[in-house]
Amino acid sequence: MTNAKPLEGVRVLSLEQVHVLPWGTAFLADFGAQVVRVESAEHMNDRRSGPFPEGAPGEEWWNECGTFAYWARNKQSICLQVAHPLGKETFLRLVENADVVTDNFRPGTTARYGLDHDSLAAVKPDIITLSCTAYGHTGPWRAYGARARTVDAACGLSYLTGYEGGPSLRASANYMDHTGGLNVAYALLLALYRKRKTGQGARIDLSMYETGVSCIAPAILEAQRGVSRPRLGPSHLWRAPHNVYPCQGDDRWIAIAVSDDAEWHALRRAMDEPGWAADGSLDTVQIRHARRAELDAHIAEWTARQDSQELFHLLQSHGVPAGPVNTAKDLVSDEHLWRRDYFEVFDNPNTPHVGPRVFAGRPFRTPDIPLSLHLASALGQHNLDVLREMGGMTDSEIQHLADAGVLSTRPRVDDRPPADGRQRGAADRLYDPDYRQRAEDAMSAAR
Amino acid sequence: MTGILSDIRVVELSATPSGAFCAKLLADQGADVAKVEPPAGDPARREPPLLQGASGDRQGSQFLAFNTNKRGVTLDASSDEGREALLGLIAGRDVLVEDFAPGHLDELGLGYETLRALNPRLIVVSITPFGQTGPYSAYKGGDLVAQAVGGFLYTTGESDRTPMGTALEQTHVAAARNGAIAVMGALLQREFTGEGQHVDVSIMEAVVSTPPAFIHQYSYTGAIAGRGFGEGNVMDGMHLPTADSDVTLTTAGTGGNPMQAWADFLDEPRLLDRRFATPRGRAEHAADLLELVQSKLRHRKAHEFMTDAMDRRLVVGVVQSPEEVADCPHLAERGTFVGIDHPLAGALRYPGPGFLIDGLNPMTGGRPAPRLGEHNAEVLGDEVGLTEQQISRLA
Repeated sequence: MTNAKPLEGVRVLSLEQVHVLPWGTAFLADFGAQVVRVESAEHMNDRRSGPFPEGAPGEEWWNECGTFAYWARNKQSICLQVAHPLGKETFLRLVENADVVTDNFRPGTTARYGLDHDSLAAVKPDIITLSCTAYGHTGPWRAYGARARTVDAACGLSYLTGYEGGPSLRASANYMDHTGGLNVAYALLLALYRKRKTGQGARIDLSMYETGVSCIAPAILEAQRGVSRPRLGPSHLWRAPHNVYPCQGDDRWIAIAVSDDAEWHALRRAMDEPGWAADGSLDTVQIRHARRAELDAHIAEWTARQDSQELFHLLQSHGVPAGPVNTAKDLVSDEHLWRRDYFEVFDNPNTPHVGPRVFAGRPFRTPDIPLSLHLASALGQHNLDVLREMGGMTDSEIQHLADAGVLSTRPRVDDRPPADGRQRGAADRLYDPDYRQRAEDAMSAAR
Repeated sequence: MTGILSDIRVVELSATPSGAFCAKLLADQGADVAKVEPPAGDPARREPPLLQGASGDRQGSQFLAFNTNKRGVTLDASSDEGREALLGLIAGRDVLVEDFAPGHLDELGLGYETLRALNPRLIVVSITPFGQTGPYSAYKGGDLVAQAVGGFLYTTGESDRTPMGTALEQTHVAAARNGAIAVMGALLQREFTGEGQHVDVSIMEAVVSTPPAFIHQYSYTGAIAGRGFGEGNVMDGMHLPTADSDVTLTTAGTGGNPMQAWADFLDEPRLLDRRFATPRGRAEHAADLLELVQSKLRHRKAHEFMTDAMDRRLVVGVVQSPEEVADCPHLAERGTFVGIDHPLAGALRYPGPGFLIDGLNPMTGGRPAPRLGEHNAEVLGDEVGLTEQQISRLA
């Protein structure tokens, strides 16, 4: 039994920005691949996106960004101007020893720089490339740009989302980045699996739009038969009661989702058999669904007097599927998640003054593949290591690159992000002044 | 076309979309998935919306969508004979995908330790609402509960209304995609170790991991993500009606000068009003800005508007209905959809995985979701070695 991780020895060069592609390649890094993020000293968007500790970017703000750590999880960093002829030459030397090259530029960009699949395959015939774009590399919309939410709109998910009887209302600013990133990881793992079996490379053309369409496949089939889904908010197409109900306190809620008749009876028992629920006609889901507004009003009256966390445990003890509408603050104190070792407590050695911070972890445990957030690279932290080991370059060659301004460890532009203290939590209920203590308490309770 | 996973054999025991979608991701890449259902069938077969084929039979749309490329087997796993047959099947397979409550398989005598003793190379993926361990592991919950406990629900909807949620059980989709990633990791790991492992996927955790900066934004600054993203944000978030579909604008692709770009494109110089120059100004004067933009969009057709804007490198989105998606010429040219004829539900076009490999949709040549017990003879007979009589007793 060896402790090698599944992708030990696999080398990935990633020309990545924003969310979708970094999210995908991070899984390869978790599985032991050497993932090298190739960064430009002129484009600091990801490293200036925040959050910064206590909302205040420090001296080396480009190494302090929380979301950068989350997206660049466990990857190395080289800061190489690939657009410069020397930088391109260097990049191609790295490609000779790489297994995978990924990008999320608009289609046509890598071809313009001579770094598209065919150019790379000329250097490394069994290379796996993945290009992650909004609409893919073929078809009439291929040149179009996107934000995650314009893809959410295009793929049909936004259309299906909204309050009951209301207009379309997108649920998330970034879900398409997230689900697209998961698909990136899956596609790359498939290609690596095939390469291990057959030695073949691959050219992967991944579209965020099409990934979004695959997320709502049932609705795509329905549409072909003229069946349209109404927008229902948290309500269900045919189950009831199934909604979000108010609880004690400001903006506190509980979700209750009864999925069958047995759970309806369990809910009645949890509510102490109120008179209105004794109506035998409510024993069938069709009647409960038809009268759901009336049921919801009665249940809301009952929940409104109670604490959402206590009610959660009461309902679950009766076998009723229910859950409090948790905030980030609730989750950071959630005993269940700490007991499951879900959170990552990361104290970045590159920025010791920031101290340990809590990050979301991986939603799966693979006992033979221990996963943890252990690296958030400083800009250009691995310039030397990568160019020596993967590029086979001598120190004088590397010095030449640095002298030519092609290699760096600092941003080239003065792009310091503004201090914004509370970030976007405008209302008091969206800010917790005791957050450091609360995270501290949760961490020590977990230890 | 043989898929990348054509040498992988999977057993699926699932009662929720998470397990079904996870196994579908594998099946659509060529894995041989035996979907084991109770004799009454997966309840999703009968869950609305139901789609009717020429024969008059009806099948649940989600069942059709999430069970492509699988073979169907029926048996009662709670009977002794059923359990023996299932053990016989699992003995020769690589992966078991299951989404029962933690402990249920143990009660059936099919717990992980038993399976591992039988087949040390087996990778078991268990997808459950709260995971296999921890104080909530026995708790119940479907998609809405996962959205709630995972923190997604709190951040969706309008700031002064109830939390809203998203459509079509995306929490299960997210958990299933994570499950498929973990399976691939475990399969690649097995190449080194020769052994399988038990993968524990929590739907709650899949939800917490979803937003880009949800947890660490709090631990860095104390800010708690709330509802109302894009509310009143005319240029960068709201859905805006046109003559037909809604559209959403962005400030992307405007070279850092969004109001100039949009004033030029919409031919509306009043957008250059100083009041609208900054995001804060646009939020403060959202009603006036909305009126100006609306008056320009009202008579445009959404797709023409999108094409014109995107051709000028602006970035917009049309809020397309599923009908528009199904008929999208771009997707037709990309070969996104795969035509599959189901004997009961008829011919439909199914979305592929979202990526092309070497220029081809890997789902090409796909098979429909299985009919109930359709492959009992070939799986339970040819593979497990049961007689016809034994098979008919099980199903």
